[in-house]
Amino acid sequence: MSEDNDKTSYDSDSSKPDKMFTLKKWNSVAMWSWDVECEICAICRVQVMDACLRCQAESKKDIQSKDGACVVVWGECNHSFHHCCMSLWVKQNNRCPLCQQEWSIQRLSS
Amino acid sequence: MITLTRKKANESNGQSKRISIRDKLLVKEVQEMEENLPSTVKTSFPDSNNLSEFYLTVQPNEGLWKDGRFKFLITINEDYNMMPPKVKCLTKILHPNISAAGDVCLSLLRLNSIDGMGWMPTRRLKDVIFGINSLFTDLCDFDDPLNIELSEEYAANSEKVKQRIREHVLQNAMR
Ligand SMILES: [Zn+2]
Ligand SMILES: [Zn+2]
Ligand SMILES: [Zn+2]
Repeated sequence: MSEDNDKTSYDSDSSKPDKMFTLKKWNSVAMWSWDVECEICAICRVQVMDACLRCQAESKKDIQSKDGACVVVWGECNHSFHHCCMSLWVKQNNRCPLCQQEWSIQRLSS
Repeated sequence: MITLTRKKANESNGQSKRISIRDKLLVKEVQEMEENLPSTVKTSFPDSNNLSEFYLTVQPNEGLWKDGRFKFLITINEDYNMMPPKVKCLTKILHPNISAAGDVCLSLLRLNSIDGMGWMPTRRLKDVIFGINSLFTDLCDFDDPLNIELSEEYAANSEKVKQRIREHVLQNAMR
């Protein structure tokens, strides 16, 4: 939006409002969080924001209201999985199954 | 009373939980595998209610094992997909990467591999099928043998070994 304005009114752009930039930035942050919600855990093939296959099997009653035990884990390589799934796998082989790098935890979702 | 029943339920829960996870994974993976079967491969399930054990028949259309029919048994244990499927060759075969007992040497079925070629829970049944099928072409490797005798012979006289393999196929693996 702001770029179009820029091109068509290049002769009088000295008073270009700063507000445009703030709006654009907010927009891109919203897109990013939507992407993460749709990420699939490559181990159990369930979305990382949902409870993993194991936790789903455990409490069939209320799958959607996950109780906080099934969190998301990010590695230093930026790949994410369910913490449940990944902690089982690292017992076999301490590598990220997607990029084969040595696995070390960068952060956990709250 | 209640605690007792509950405890009992919990004890058997561990195993049944794992089975249900494997079976959930298999429902999707078997379908995906069937949709992507190479033309040289056929599958058959002895029990249609059990996706965790099936036969795979490879009929190579090129290479040393051309026109033979090689039957494999694939077993997927409860610890899938943390552990790879088990693969056994049921047909008598002369192959550098398959032992006389039918054990199959395929890097993607190897656990604890450090080169990134081994088993990963991100792999699917269709990858295993492609791997087995490729053992008769690209992945056939005389330098990483399970049948060491055959590989040594091959190093000494490859033409002679090729001839032997062809004869063996004609005698043992033709329908
Ligand atoms: Zn998962
Ligand atoms: Zn979980
Ligand atoms: Zn990674």
